[in-house]
Amino acid sequence: MTSLSLQRLEKKLGGAPILRGIDLDVASGELVVLVGPSGCGKSTLLRTVAGLELPDAGTIRIGDRDVTLLPPRDRDVGMVFQSYALYPHLTVRENLAFGLTLRRTEAATVKARVEEVSSMLGLEKLLDRYPRDMSGGQRQRVAMGRAIARRPSLFLFDEPLSNLDAALRAEVRVEIKRLHARLAATMLYVTHDQVEAMTLADRLVVLRAGVVEQVGAPLDIYAEPASRFVAGFLGSPAMNFLAVRRERDRLLAPGVSLAIPSTLETPKELVLGVRPHDVRPTSEASALSFEVDVVEAMGFEAFAYGQIKDATHASPGTFIARLDEDALRTARHGARLALAVDRAHLFDAATEKAIGRLGFDGERQPSIEATP
Amino acid sequence: MSAREDTARQPRGSAIRGALVHAFLIAAVVFAVYPILWVIALAFSESVVPEARALPLPTNVSLDHFVAVIGRTDGEGRWMFARQLWSSAFVSIMTSVVAIAIATPAAYALSRFEFVGKDASVKSLLATQMFPGVAASVPLYLLLDAIGLLDTLSGLVLVYATSAVPFALFQLRGAFDAIPKELEEAAMVDGATRFGAFVRVALPAARPALAITALFAFMSAWNEFALAATFLTREEHYTLPILLQSYATEHDANLGHFAAGAILVSVPVMALFYVLQRQLIHGLTSGGVKG
Amino acid sequence: MSLRARAILLVVLSSVCLALASTWTTSLGAAQDGRVSIFLWHAYGESEARGLEAAVDAFEANEARAGRDVHVEVTAIPFGAYASKLQAAIPVGNGPDVFVDAHDRVASYVEEHLVRGYGPLEPEQAADFEPTQLESLVYGSDLWGVPLSAKGLVLYVNLDLAAARSLETLEDFEALRDELPEGSFPIAWELDSTYASAAMFHAYGAQHIDAHGGFALDDAASAAALARMRVLVSDETVPSESSGDLVRNLFRSGRAVAAVSGPWLAPDLPPELRYEVRPLPRLRRDDGTEAALQPFATIESVFLASHDSEAGEGTSEDRHRMARELALFLAGPEGSRIRAIEGGHVVCSRSAWADPALADRTTLRAFRDAAAAAWPMPTHPHMSRVFGPVDRAIRKVLRGEMEPAAALAEASHRFADETRPPPDRRDPMWGIVVLSSVLVIAMLSLVRQLSRPEVREGLVRSMPAYAWVTHALLAVIVLVVFPLAVGAGTSFFAGQGSDLHYVGVANYVDILTARGGDLFATGSFWVVLAVTVLWTVVNVASHVGIGIALALALSRPVLKLKTAYRVLLILPWAVPSYVTALAWRGMFHRQLGAVNAILDVFGVEPISWFAHFATAFAANVATNVWLGFPFMMVVTLGALTSIPKDLYEAAEVDGASPWEQFRLITLPMLGPALLPAVAMGAVWTFNMFNVVFLVSAGEPDGSTEILVSEAYRWAFTRGHQTGYAAAYAVLIFGILLVTTRYLPGATGGAPRRGKAA
Repeated sequence: MTSLSLQRLEKKLGGAPILRGIDLDVASGELVVLVGPSGCGKSTLLRTVAGLELPDAGTIRIGDRDVTLLPPRDRDVGMVFQSYALYPHLTVRENLAFGLTLRRTEAATVKARVEEVSSMLGLEKLLDRYPRDMSGGQRQRVAMGRAIARRPSLFLFDEPLSNLDAALRAEVRVEIKRLHARLAATMLYVTHDQVEAMTLADRLVVLRAGVVEQVGAPLDIYAEPASRFVAGFLGSPAMNFLAVRRERDRLLAPGVSLAIPSTLETPKELVLGVRPHDVRPTSEASALSFEVDVVEAMGFEAFAYGQIKDATHASPGTFIARLDEDALRTARHGARLALAVDRAHLFDAATEKAIGRLGFDGERQPSIEATP
Repeated sequence: MSAREDTARQPRGSAIRGALVHAFLIAAVVFAVYPILWVIALAFSESVVPEARALPLPTNVSLDHFVAVIGRTDGEGRWMFARQLWSSAFVSIMTSVVAIAIATPAAYALSRFEFVGKDASVKSLLATQMFPGVAASVPLYLLLDAIGLLDTLSGLVLVYATSAVPFALFQLRGAFDAIPKELEEAAMVDGATRFGAFVRVALPAARPALAITALFAFMSAWNEFALAATFLTREEHYTLPILLQSYATEHDANLGHFAAGAILVSVPVMALFYVLQRQLIHGLTSGGVKG
Repeated sequence: MSLRARAILLVVLSSVCLALASTWTTSLGAAQDGRVSIFLWHAYGESEARGLEAAVDAFEANEARAGRDVHVEVTAIPFGAYASKLQAAIPVGNGPDVFVDAHDRVASYVEEHLVRGYGPLEPEQAADFEPTQLESLVYGSDLWGVPLSAKGLVLYVNLDLAAARSLETLEDFEALRDELPEGSFPIAWELDSTYASAAMFHAYGAQHIDAHGGFALDDAASAAALARMRVLVSDETVPSESSGDLVRNLFRSGRAVAAVSGPWLAPDLPPELRYEVRPLPRLRRDDGTEAALQPFATIESVFLASHDSEAGEGTSEDRHRMARELALFLAGPEGSRIRAIEGGHVVCSRSAWADPALADRTTLRAFRDAAAAAWPMPTHPHMSRVFGPVDRAIRKVLRGEMEPAAALAEASHRFADETRPPPDRRDPMWGIVVLSSVLVIAMLSLVRQLSRPEVREGLVRSMPAYAWVTHALLAVIVLVVFPLAVGAGTSFFAGQGSDLHYVGVANYVDILTARGGDLFATGSFWVVLAVTVLWTVVNVASHVGIGIALALALSRPVLKLKTAYRVLLILPWAVPSYVTALAWRGMFHRQLGAVNAILDVFGVEPISWFAHFATAFAANVATNVWLGFPFMMVVTLGALTSIPKDLYEAAEVDGASPWEQFRLITLPMLGPALLPAVAMGAVWTFNMFNVVFLVSAGEPDGSTEILVSEAYRWAFTRGHQTGYAAAYAVLIFGILLVTTRYLPGATGGAPRRGKAA
């Protein structure tokens, strides 16, 4: 299997910079997920790797070959498109064999590969159908099968699950993971869905406006987001952000009063990031004072939507808090809850970069871990 | 359309409305078919003189006009109808082949690539459709003479095909616009060149629009009279519309022959329409006449 | 040159030829042993062509007997394209060596240098023709053609209806009127055509054109003749709004005692009809004197082309000699005899009629007698311009819209307008200055563009795309844009045929100022423009309205016979438009048309469709709507399938009535798909030449012409004023270009891109 290496990749489309100096290394056999909001350049990056777009600057290496200027057909990549891009005038069998036939593969090999791939993906009974006669899930499988049949050295996935319904999506997600293990292939996978990103990735790349915001193992990034953007992008429900002011060893805002170590050097204006899972209703004097607006209970979990406010003022924005079973019983519209904070993230309000992670391990004595 | 939907979509009083719709359609069909029936009646009549009657029925049914038109020979006994039918078929088929061959790659490029001068080319192509052809026939005559293609079927094909190109371009560009470009990208990733992707994927996907565009090019050549009469001299080269026109000249008019000829000329086009009616509806939409 | 000298010359020439040929035989097989092949063009119909071909065969056989290898390639050219084809083909050597055409074109052909003179004929050859017929082919001092056959109008008399009555004068026929039943006429006569009515003018001493090519029908005698014609129509001696078809129909069916028609009527008459051909009757003028009705005679003549045909074989001298010999053979006694016997030609050669085989051809002889007494059509080039204006004047008078004198004065004015001398030659300096400065500015801006780095970069990036489009652009530029541009360029020139001179923008000024006439008179550019706009709007609105209505009906989910309806409704699209146009013109015929026959069923009086602007315009529109609605219907059908069904379901849930659903969902959703088609349809309709030209032909009085048919008239029927027609074309182009800029969806618009990732 083969590695992929991108260096200082730049690309403009119609004068607007889309990729602004991307560096990325994908190890052989690794599944790297590119994630980011729409317009961040992740699809362009994938298309540049495929050769469908040529970069304005930078190099792309697949294995030990410099493929920067090679046409797509010479890069030995397989790609699964969001729209599947199945050839409407060909049957499933012909679709699967298309790439092999183009490369003048022997008929016997083609037949063997088509059979192998179709049994791998459960397509045996569909081989003589046309794409228009199949369901979305079936088409998606054919699209993957078409990429697999060629045994390329690099797989590219461009949001392959976004046209499927939720249940099917979960199923195929697991299947991709299984395929990855079975094929031990190098894969680059683009999605805007954080669940896919978290569950599939060996390594996660968060892109924002053409720049790599953070690279790392999914759980590491979840635990230690490098910026407010990354922190807000991963996690469901999303992290709460509160604009706070530092007053010596306290962070203050309407309804917020949180102790921090006085040794920590910070600017005066800060953003406090708290995941809904990191708060807990308490009867003691608390860091956050929360007024419930709406409660969503899902059986295994419950969240309250409301505002952090003191007697007179509210911090801007909706705040989401996870409720335990006790709190769920009392939480009603208009109820006030005191919330204790277990873990929190601090960001520079101006640069939005992470400053540190606060932990409050039971003793309510803050510990600090500065972001490198 | 499922049966369930059918019944669900039938409000009360739909019987009356259905009858009204049929009445409307029948009226339209009568309007559409009536003049054609007249031509048919004339062609099958023994008499060459039209009678003032409301019902288009032939008087004394006879096939004489068809026999005369089809069996026409020239002074040397050559079977002219067959030769002229061949001329017409050759010119029309070649016109649609050449027009499609010229227009398709260009339409693909207009749909898929950005290039300097694209906007200007599209606008100029559109503009050619607005210029009345009255001014162009003499320059064209001299041009064909200069390249030695006057009085040849190839010369006529060249003129017809190029004048069919602008419309074919718009038609096909619309069709390619409607084909997701991911299809060709997938093919290129799968190992095709850009041209390979065009031939193996874009062309098959554009088949309905190609069929319709070819049909229009065919029709434009099949029905054209003025340029053909100007450029062709030898009678065995004549296309059928010239023959038809000669039956409709002022003093020597033979309307029965004209009508029989008109039917013979129209039947192939009608057959093509019948075969391609589905593509006609979908080819025109996916392509649209997007200017 | 004496016969002896000629023989010597011939021997010398042929030996030179032989010497030349022998050196060439190895390389040029076709030219060996003095074979001569020449081309003969004619525009005869089938039966007449047979006669000509038989005579040509005899000529070839004669030559072969004399040991000469002569081949004559005979080509029938469609009548409609004949004149323009001769004009285009002869100067570039693609034409014939010998051609047959009517004598009245002789002056135009001489002026355009298309024909060669005959030189003097042998006295016995000249003596074989009527002097008047031969004289009509003299222009200047030379003889340019020899007469083949003469055609003129004759009187066909139905012997059963005429019985023993004396029918010597027109007044005798008028007296018959009261004896005949409704729907029958004493004479079927196409009086409202200039050609068929000429005899009436001649009988009153009027002439169409004077010796200098001026309009001569504007005197009192002409007005008197026209007034007399009006009486003939109003007392129903002659049917009103007649046509060739009607004349034939009335006479065939025994509803006319007599018919004024030409030799072409005879083959169409059923064998059981007993008739006789006579010269036209005499006419008793108001002062009591009698005058003969002398119709125009058209003398079909054979001309020698000024340029050799490139495809012919043999030396130029041989071919010229052979062409002349062929022409004189065809016109001479033997050729004429064969043509008369085999093709029924009314030959001019006197001695041919002595042949016993022609002795019992009474009808043919009657034609000949009538033609010999007829009035050869004047040969002045302006004669051809008399027809249009006089046709219009006669029709106006016969319809009772105008008094004869006023109508003829109007015709005179119109004639003067159409024959006015071309604008003065201008110094092309300014034109060249403007053209070259435009070119220089264009070049400069191109160079400046190219010097900008981003443009050059763009060009480099565009290279792969150019590989896909260059061939198409080149083909379109060479074969579409270039000819159109040359055509547009001729709008700065005036004159006829190849005799053009630069006149600057005079053509445009003339058009836009209505040549100094009334800006709002019929036929002025502005009025025609208004008619054209009305024409376009009415047609497009009908196309779209009917198209959408039918598409909606056809797209109903439950509809029996849907496919059958659809196929039948698409049919009009599959029929060539000129067939349709002629069929519709026939259907709107006043006496024979199906439309009036239908109206008759409902008790409605027959309508003269082409006598009033509104009805003639309506006839044109009906035809064009018939032609155009299937296209709109099909486009709409396609567009309808792309409207999601759930939109209607949502609207139904919201309580929208079917009409509201149509107005709020269907129409707005159809818009984007239909707009380009509508714009394209508007452009096509604006330039829809066939329908207007063939259905109403501008009737009445040119009021239903649209811009493009007006341009065609200047280019083809009003003396080939190519420059003037081209100026019309450029104006049409300009109008459409400006209009479509402001029509959404009609322009190229923003380049559409595929879905961006």
